[in-house]
Amino acid sequence: MGSDTKPADLLQGTLELLILRTLAIGEKHGYEIAEWIHSASAEALAIEEGALYPALHRLELRGLLTADWDVSANNRRAKYYRLTQAGRRRLKETIESWRRTSTAINLVLEAN
Amino acid sequence: MREWLNSLRLRLHATWRRRQLDQDLRDEMAFHVAMRQAQLGQAGAANPGAEARRRFGSTARIAEELRDRWALMPRLASLARDFRYAVRGLGRHPGFALVVVLTLGIGIGINTATFSIINAVLIRPLGFPDPDRLVALQEDLAGFSFGGAPFSPPDFIDLQREQQSFEAVGAYRSVALELSGTNEPVLLDAARVTPNLFTVLGVSPHLGRTFRPEEERQGTDVAILSWSLWHARFGGDRSVLGRTIVLDRRPYTVVGIMPAAFEFPRPGPQINNRRAELWVPLAFTDAQRVIRGNEFIYSAIARLKRGTSVEAANAELAVQTRRINDRYPPGLKGAGFVIGLSAVSLHDEIAGHTERPLLLLLVAVGLVLLVACANIANLVLSRAATRAREVALRRALGSSRGRLLQLLLAETSVLSVAGGTAGVAIAMFIVASLPATVAEQLPAARSVPIDGSVLAFTAGLIVITSLAFALIPLAAAERGAPGRTLQEETARTTPGVRRHRIQATLVVLTVVLACVLLAGAGLFIRSFTALMATDAGFNADRVLTAAVTLPGPGYQSAASVHAFHDAIFRQASSLPGIRSAALATDLPLEAYERRTLAPEGFSLVTSSPRNTNLSWTRGPYFTTLGIRLRSGRFFTDAEDRGHRNVVIVNQRLADTFWPGQDAIGKRLRWGLDVTQNPNPWLTIVGIVDDVADGPLEVEPYLHAYEPFTQLPDFMLENFPGSFGRDVKLVIRTNDDPRALASPVRGEIARIDRSLAVQSISTMSEQMADAVAPKRFSALTLSAFAGGALLLAGIGLYGLLAFGVSERRREIAVRLALGAEPAKIVRLVVRQGLTLVAIGLVLGVCAAYAVATTVDSLLYRTESHDLVAFGAVPVLLAIIAVAACLLPAYRASRVESITALRAE
Repeated sequence: MGSDTKPADLLQGTLELLILRTLAIGEKHGYEIAEWIHSASAEALAIEEGALYPALHRLELRGLLTADWDVSANNRRAKYYRLTQAGRRRLKETIESWRRTSTAINLVLEAN
Repeated sequence: MREWLNSLRLRLHATWRRRQLDQDLRDEMAFHVAMRQAQLGQAGAANPGAEARRRFGSTARIAEELRDRWALMPRLASLARDFRYAVRGLGRHPGFALVVVLTLGIGIGINTATFSIINAVLIRPLGFPDPDRLVALQEDLAGFSFGGAPFSPPDFIDLQREQQSFEAVGAYRSVALELSGTNEPVLLDAARVTPNLFTVLGVSPHLGRTFRPEEERQGTDVAILSWSLWHARFGGDRSVLGRTIVLDRRPYTVVGIMPAAFEFPRPGPQINNRRAELWVPLAFTDAQRVIRGNEFIYSAIARLKRGTSVEAANAELAVQTRRINDRYPPGLKGAGFVIGLSAVSLHDEIAGHTERPLLLLLVAVGLVLLVACANIANLVLSRAATRAREVALRRALGSSRGRLLQLLLAETSVLSVAGGTAGVAIAMFIVASLPATVAEQLPAARSVPIDGSVLAFTAGLIVITSLAFALIPLAAAERGAPGRTLQEETARTTPGVRRHRIQATLVVLTVVLACVLLAGAGLFIRSFTALMATDAGFNADRVLTAAVTLPGPGYQSAASVHAFHDAIFRQASSLPGIRSAALATDLPLEAYERRTLAPEGFSLVTSSPRNTNLSWTRGPYFTTLGIRLRSGRFFTDAEDRGHRNVVIVNQRLADTFWPGQDAIGKRLRWGLDVTQNPNPWLTIVGIVDDVADGPLEVEPYLHAYEPFTQLPDFMLENFPGSFGRDVKLVIRTNDDPRALASPVRGEIARIDRSLAVQSISTMSEQMADAVAPKRFSALTLSAFAGGALLLAGIGLYGLLAFGVSERRREIAVRLALGAEPAKIVRLVVRQGLTLVAIGLVLGVCAAYAVATTVDSLLYRTESHDLVAFGAVPVLLAIIAVAACLLPAYRASRVESITALRAE
């Protein structure tokens, strides 16, 4: 968090992609998701913490995630999210479309 | 589909276990905050708890959003949340909310009140079954202006017998009957009706029965009571049926009670228009049935046969007209007695004349509401501007247009519903406080209810206004790309051009509307002042009047009537504190009897017949009322006591028949100028000023006065109704006339204990009543115009003040660069006055165009009256300058440094 670079604004679709990608590793609770995105992006991305939960619940209601209550490492009640079958499919599709878009944008940026 | 089913299953589950869901949402977020706090604590943050909560944001707001997602109907939940936000948001700006709700409340209130009157008078059916088949029949007498087009008995009887178009034809006549024997004697408004009148109207009694056909003959003494009389005088006791009551000193048997809602006759027509409290049968004498050309005083109504139109009935009436005219003796026909029968819908006859003024009033209050709406739109727009950043941000974050509209609608509909509720309360207040004199004249039911259709009207207003307030700011703030608004909001110097243009248009609109209302109010005020300045021909100061009607049975003989006159005149004249006292059959501002007149030496066959009002007097009537003598003299004592065949006429009568000549000494007689006329010639001994004999705005009619003693005894003894038995006592006093009211009552009771005193009032009170409707319309219209003017001023002020606060930066730069403060003032004032000037030009044009529609409602005032129209720009300019100066002054005082830093 000590980084001086201004974290990029996260657009809605991007946030969902990041959540799905994070959970592809394994089940996590909300705080872990936020922390993992932060460190995996080399501290470049800091998601607005409150905004994380509406996104998580939206994905859960759409059946891309499923959640269970469990006891956390420090012995507290926590809600753990994991990908469903549909979630995995969506992640794959979204990554592909993201790659296509970013390649296209890079091509434009590097064109002369 | 699978996805949706899954989501529904989850949401169903969550709804089922609501408490669990709440707990889970709280726990999940609390867990996050606790984890962050622990992490921050390890990293050595100063206040890890507060910092963790700050980073997370409002848990309450997020929990709310999450709960909406899990709700069974998420859209509805979000709507409910928007309403909660709207209420909370308005609570933070109570001033704004209050101004909007009040402005709207007044606008909606006066519209609802006006509509409820229109609803009661014009829209609500008359309260009779199948009202479309009810018609009022009219008998016009060509060349005679009797007014009110009522029937003469033989003509009515012929029509009733021979017509084909109607199921039934009934006649009625308003009368006053003295009810005595119970409590204090009272004079009641009653109606003599043909027994079939209730059948024509299609109403059945609440209790008992209506009249039977065989009761249509002289001397059937049965009566039907109104609901209100039944309750007021008989305590609503059912045993009153079959009981005997005393009317005009004769016993009548009560046979029925009408329902509470039954009202007939109704105000509206010119004659026979008093709401009756009881009904007695109308039966014509044998003489009345056959003598043509008499007593054009009965009103007739009829029920059309099923499938017969008013046009078809009128076609038949044209045929009947010819047949009845053929039955008139040639002498009468030659003298101008030519009748014409026609039918109009009963509703038009009763309410038709009020349509125009009422619709005009609705237009006026509609304009006020428009001004109020324009103003509120401006306020909402200004507020929306301060929220533009929020709106733009939400748009950037992906809120749909619909979602934003919903948010705005939630706020405006909270305002509109609050305003509408306030409006209904205000309308109820207005309706309840309608002056009695105005309410009395409404031809509708006595009550003006706030019923279903009125509330529907109000609900419509609420929907329209809330849509308008939501759409205008949305259109203004949303047209541009969100990015531009964001840029503008962060580094702006001047406000968005589009919003400014809309607000300026709204201000111009309010000025235009205020102009129209002001001009209208000006015209009505001018008309009212002209009315008040009219010389009524008499002096109403310190004059007390008392009215009694001598009941026929108690005062059968002419001698008994004269004895009463003698007694009351003698006793009133000797009351302490009076200057003079007199008696008459009628007072100024009313007419008693209208007769055909034959001046000596005129052939009425060649000129059209003339009618004149006739009053009978006793004692110094003219001096008591301050009626000026133009020439000749008043009646002498001898003339007052004996049959000297003298008459006093008004100036108009003298001018009509003897223009440019001295009418004194000329002769006239009543009736037609035919040889068989039995009436004696009367010599004119005096000419007096014209005295108002009805509404002040109507030119006084031809008028003649005779000493009461000249009234032939047979007229008093044989004429139907109360003819000649109405006694008006007039007393001019030295001091407050009201102080004499109870002595006068005492004197009347001393002469006849069971005689009902109809009314005791001062002449000034009667004057005030006579002009009350005009005063009311001038006052209400002025109030509306004043309100519109105020709103226009507030709107202008709001626009300029807001503009100045937005342009603080620009103004500060100008001031810092050395601009004179006076120049800044001029800048702001010029901006405001330009708008007013545009509005004024358009408004005066609009008012000029609209003014002609009120022409017929004005008294001695041109519809393009220069004073009324000249006052409009002056008033508006004063308000406009006042509205401009304060913001302008503020602008010139902008402190450069603070203003520049504020951004």
